Amino acid sequence: MKENLMDIICCPLDKHDLELDVTERDDEEILAGTLTCTECGETYPIEDGIPNLLPPDMRDEAPA
Amino acid sequence: MTDGGGTDGAPSLADQRDVEQVYQPAEDSKLLADAVVERVEAGDCALDVGTGSGYVAARLRDAGADAVGADLNPHACRQAADSGIPTVRADLTTAFRDGAFDVVTFNPPYLPTEPEREWDDWMERALSGGEDGRAAIEPFLDDVARVLASDGAAYLLVSSLTDPDAVRALAAANGLEAEEIASESHPFETLLVMRFALDDG
Repeated sequence: MKENLMDIICCPLDKHDLELDVTERDDEEILAGTLTCTECGETYPIEDGIPNLLPPDMRDEAPA
Repeated sequence: MTDGGGTDGAPSLADQRDVEQVYQPAEDSKLLADAVVERVEAGDCALDVGTGSGYVAARLRDAGADAVGADLNPHACRQAADSGIPTVRADLTTAFRDGAFDVVTFNPPYLPTEPEREWDDWMERALSGGEDGRAAIEPFLDDVARVLASDGAAYLLVSSLTDPDAVRALAAANGLEAEEIASESHPFETLLVMRFALDDG
């Protein structure tokens, strides 16, 4: 994800701002890291450059 | 929702595996995109919900919008991201800020499906709209007004199979004014594109 995505995303649970913590990036994009809600503290992973902002109870729910 | 095709070039084997789990653009996607691109202005902030392959998002981008895709399906997210669409794995519009978008599009899963046939795999999920065909449409209409800018609009592909009047009623209950802006007849259904604007917008 590009950093400017931060302007439009929020915590899916309470709609508060997210704090970005980058663990891996290239010239253009953030490849890995976490997004943490500044209100409820829920943490969302960024994997292979794609932020996973599913609510926690949907995150592991995966069809075959 | 007949077979789509419509991708350029032959996908690699790895891509092919993803393709089988991601809804590929069909006539419904095209009807939605054709109707919306006429109404998009350069620089509009746009969100394509259930972006799948990223087709509608790419059409919005080509029309000058800053388009973002969202999908529940990780394979769809990968495919859309690989085609250059900024993509978020998210449930409908729930992970986006209030008033963030001038344009929101959604070609929902809408085929009415018996409960015992549901949620077997990602493709089923991309097609099935629950028993009344509105299982994804209803929560979408419940939240979309929140993410629209005051003069923004949402565009929804609606099939005659999912009772367009019921969809209009759901929209009205959420303070959205519905307008039909495109339609196309097919052997077993009529496809409509509905535009929703905030009542006071």
